[in-house]
Amino acid sequence: MAGFANLFYNTFVRRNSVYVTAIFGSAFAFGVGFDTAVTSVWDKWNQGKQWKDIRDKYIQDEE
Amino acid sequence: MAALFATKKAFTAPPTVRTLASGVPSAPLINLAARDLHGAEHHGHGAAGPRSDTPAKFSGGLSNTPNGVVSKRYANAPTTGVFQQRYMHTSVPARDAPKVPNFGAYEAKDPSTNRALSYFMIGSLGVLSASAAKSTVTEFLATMSASADVLALAKVEVELASIPEGKNVIIKWRGKPVFIRHRTQDEISEAKSTDWKGLRDPESDESRTKKPEWLVMLGVCTHLGCVPIGEAGDYGGWFCPCHGSHYDISGRIRKGPAPLNLEVPQYDFTEGDSKLIVG
Repeated sequence: MAGFANLFYNTFVRRNSVYVTAIFGSAFAFGVGFDTAVTSVWDKWNQGKQWKDIRDKYIQDEE
Repeated sequence: MAALFATKKAFTAPPTVRTLASGVPSAPLINLAARDLHGAEHHGHGAAGPRSDTPAKFSGGLSNTPNGVVSKRYANAPTTGVFQQRYMHTSVPARDAPKVPNFGAYEAKDPSTNRALSYFMIGSLGVLSASAAKSTVTEFLATMSASADVLALAKVEVELASIPEGKNVIIKWRGKPVFIRHRTQDEISEAKSTDWKGLRDPESDESRTKKPEWLVMLGVCTHLGCVPIGEAGDYGGWFCPCHGSHYDISGRIRKGPAPLNLEVPQYDFTEGDSKLIVG
């Protein structure tokens, strides 16, 4: 545990430029991941109710 | 009262318990042999005998007389005739500072872990704050863009099956004419084979069309905004009657005063390429 903690400290925290860059990079990744997660939860919750789920029923007849 | 006191072996009372009729304070039955104050190591029991912190007998002291407690002090200790045995001092020295408990069990085994955890928590808070700030800004900017219903009204759908090959269709989109041409194979090969690098506004045919058989352009002459005429001009494309600009079959300016090619709007094919959506 101490080795991991020291690795984290020496890799990210020792230089402030690296620390801030890592924070902004993580914020970007976090934003993308958060959006994806929330969208997937939303789609799962509303499964069968959205247009993309029921589109087949209505478009098949026309083609 | 005396009978009650007699049942007790030792009794420590305040020095004055009552006042005699003469006004002299009286403290009968006071125990002058109170034990020493000791710590918890002897469960509150000090060593037997007089208190060690009382003045030595040769300097005077308290004595209990029938007339009450009498205190004597000798200004000068006798120089001879007094012999004192000195014993090794064994009483526990009084601590002048309060006893501090040992917090060793609660201290960190390894300070580097705590340091890394602190920085990790700081960084995590920074990540959350940065995401919150970013989404605040983007959501605020999104409120300035056109809403979905306005955008939906600003689009035009065209049924592509109704346009035969080699025909032009002009539709109205946001108040401007849009040319849609279903090009023949000859026209496509002609548009592609043109040496476009030497043109006034060099653009390849591939960059102007998403599918080579469908050419979609804004029907506004780039010179002064007239509407060009289709299937006319020296290059088989469009011709602007106002000042004589000639556009080729890819809508590129070839001759005349216009400085730029006919503009290509945003468009997309949907529903299995049977429909074209401009906007």
